[in-house]
Amino acid sequence: MAINWGFNIARPRAVDMDANDLSITRRIMAQMPEFQACIACGSCTATCTAGNLTSFNFRRVHTLVRRGEYEGAYEEMGKCMLCGKCRLSCPRGINTRGLVMLIKRELEDK
Amino acid sequence: MRYFDSFVVPFAVGALILFAVVLWKYANWFIAMPRADKKRVARGIFSRRTAEAVGEVISESLLHRRIFRVNPLLGYMHASLAFGWFLLIAVGWIEAAAYGLTFSPLWVHVFFRWFGAHYGLEHAAVWGIDFAFVMDLLLLFVLSGVALAWAKRMRSKMMGMRKTTRHTPGDRIALSALWFIFPARLVAESLTAAIYDNGGFLTGSLGNGLLRLLGPEVTVSAEPVAWWLYSSVLCIFFVAMPFSRYMHIFTEIPLIFLRRYGITSSEKESSFDHFQVEACSRCGICIDPCQLQSQAGYDRVQSVYFLRDRRYGMLTESVAENCLMCGRCQNLCPVGIDLNTLRLNSRDTLRNTPNERRYEYLRGIDPSHGAGKVGYFAGCMTLLTPRTLQAMERIFSAAGEAVWWADREGGVCCGRPLKLAGETDSARRMMEHNTALFRKHGITTLVTSCPICLKVFKEDYDLPGIEILHHSEYLRRLLDEGRIGVEHGAESFTYHDPCELGRKGGIYEPPREVIRSVGELVEPAQTRENALCCGSSVANLAIDDRNQEKIAVAVAGHLEATGADAIVTACPLCKKAVSRGSTRPVYDLSEIVAGHLKESAPADTPQA
Ligand code: SF4
Ligand code: SF4
Ligand code: SF4
Ligand code: SF4
Repeated sequence: MAINWGFNIARPRAVDMDANDLSITRRIMAQMPEFQACIACGSCTATCTAGNLTSFNFRRVHTLVRRGEYEGAYEEMGKCMLCGKCRLSCPRGINTRGLVMLIKRELEDK
Repeated sequence: MRYFDSFVVPFAVGALILFAVVLWKYANWFIAMPRADKKRVARGIFSRRTAEAVGEVISESLLHRRIFRVNPLLGYMHASLAFGWFLLIAVGWIEAAAYGLTFSPLWVHVFFRWFGAHYGLEHAAVWGIDFAFVMDLLLLFVLSGVALAWAKRMRSKMMGMRKTTRHTPGDRIALSALWFIFPARLVAESLTAAIYDNGGFLTGSLGNGLLRLLGPEVTVSAEPVAWWLYSSVLCIFFVAMPFSRYMHIFTEIPLIFLRRYGITSSEKESSFDHFQVEACSRCGICIDPCQLQSQAGYDRVQSVYFLRDRRYGMLTESVAENCLMCGRCQNLCPVGIDLNTLRLNSRDTLRNTPNERRYEYLRGIDPSHGAGKVGYFAGCMTLLTPRTLQAMERIFSAAGEAVWWADREGGVCCGRPLKLAGETDSARRMMEHNTALFRKHGITTLVTSCPICLKVFKEDYDLPGIEILHHSEYLRRLLDEGRIGVEHGAESFTYHDPCELGRKGGIYEPPREVIRSVGELVEPAQTRENALCCGSSVANLAIDDRNQEKIAVAVAGHLEATGADAIVTACPLCKKAVSRGSTRPVYDLSEIVAGHLKESAPADTPQA
């Protein structure tokens, strides 16, 4: 008997690395090994031109892609303007613009 | 048939194939050209432009003057091969004409030494010209070019080039044939000269030598073999030519005409691009100036390889994307190929994915503030160099300028980085968005401190009634009009020309004049058209951080070698990049102006 409490319990937001298909991630990593060095510091997002105007969050999207969570990532990456600010602020010297394009390229043909 | 011998067959067949293929290609490319371009040709054909094109064909396709300017020895090599060969054909034809053979088959002119001797024509100088002598002289001229070409292959440094082009198989066949054409011709003509006891100083004496060496019998039987060989290498060369780099020999000619009629390449590929791509001689002049090669060690991406890959349909994204579009190679290319635009439209072909909904979120966004006839667009990169922004604020206020700030608190990118990435149609949406904002706020002057934005505003935005200025031009104007006053200090500055501003925007003087008004200007060794690229250009989508830094260090070292106290540039991205490699301070132009402002500026009340 289902009781309507007016609220329910959220599904846990845990990323299950065992369940996720990491093949695309591996391809991305192979083409841009420097992405391994990302420390998810968020500098890219803090400086992001598109992020200043919308809820687009570059770190969130690329971190999820790294964990094999591809859903919606292609559309989100489409919001990036490729302005290049993030690249200049990334402390790990990651070619973030190249990463945007690479993620889009890999997810497009999924 | 009167003037005929079987050895001319390979030559005749080769020449026929050559002309058929070349004409077939040109006809197809021309037919596929857009209507507007064809109209331009029709309008230009009976104008002065045709005469100008003829002049350029002579000076470039034959004499190769532009190569001379870059590298005299290389220029001589190209000119001796092209012009020498042309003269051999032309004088050979005149010689045949002198015997009344003006309209005889092509091979009679080309192999005139053979026909002349075997048909008993060659008795004395005709029209007072010693043709045997002239033809030998020309042959020597061409052979000297062949010798240099050999030397260039062996040791490119000898020709003043660090690197020389790597070949495709088609090139190798054509090149080997080309190397043997003239030596084979020399031997064939010498043997004939030996038998008929004629020939000039070169063929005559070599013929006598061969006769003594081989004896009369061998000489007589070797002669037809030598002519067959000569005709065959010509055939091989002719057949390989349209599929090799030597297609440039002919293609440069229609290219020059079409260019003179005002046809250009654009952000989308068009059929005209074929004329540019196949006019590349793979001379390799574009390799040495490329900093990706000299500093970063990427040696498969230079324009010569890009064009080759594109021509043979094997262009990869990694080659198309690995280019700073600095224009250093284009600046030196002797054929004047529009290399940046071709790279750009290749990226469009590879990447452009129109998506109407992609930038929906831009609708209604207007983070601008302030009001004034002058709009200031900082650009994304200036927002990352806040000192430039602050300096501009001080200057605007000192000049009493009412300013509309387009993006001080963040705004929409100008669209050029996206366009440079090949996403042409999406970039349009940003351009439309910004254009609407400029219109809405009624500005009449648009100032930007970013040359990347400047370029796209000027070239891709449609902004009639709005004057577009780089801040260097605007600062110069304020100084000229006395709206701001600056103290001239004792420091010395060296100036780094941003590629987008200098080579690609033609703005060299304004920043220099501004620098001179506040201090001493010391030019680096490579400056203006030859200025180095900072290495961080947004046009390069593939270069990694380490290599960007390597280039930055080299550039900073080059600028520091002037001994100047500080480095000045006029681009926020260059400033960021050069600072990484520099031990001296690096300023934006606006910073040194703001730092030297006179307290009692001539203008009155600053704006709030
Ligand atoms: S700034 Fe660089 S290191 Fe930090 S989250 Fe972004 S990509 Fe990763
Ligand atoms: S390139 Fe894209 S992700 Fe990076 S700052 Fe610009 S808009 Fe943001
Ligand atoms: S692009 Fe120009 S400079 Fe480079 S190889 Fe071709 S013709 Fe020579
Ligand atoms: S534009 Fe610059 S980076 Fe690109 S190939 Fe030419 S010299 Fe190299």
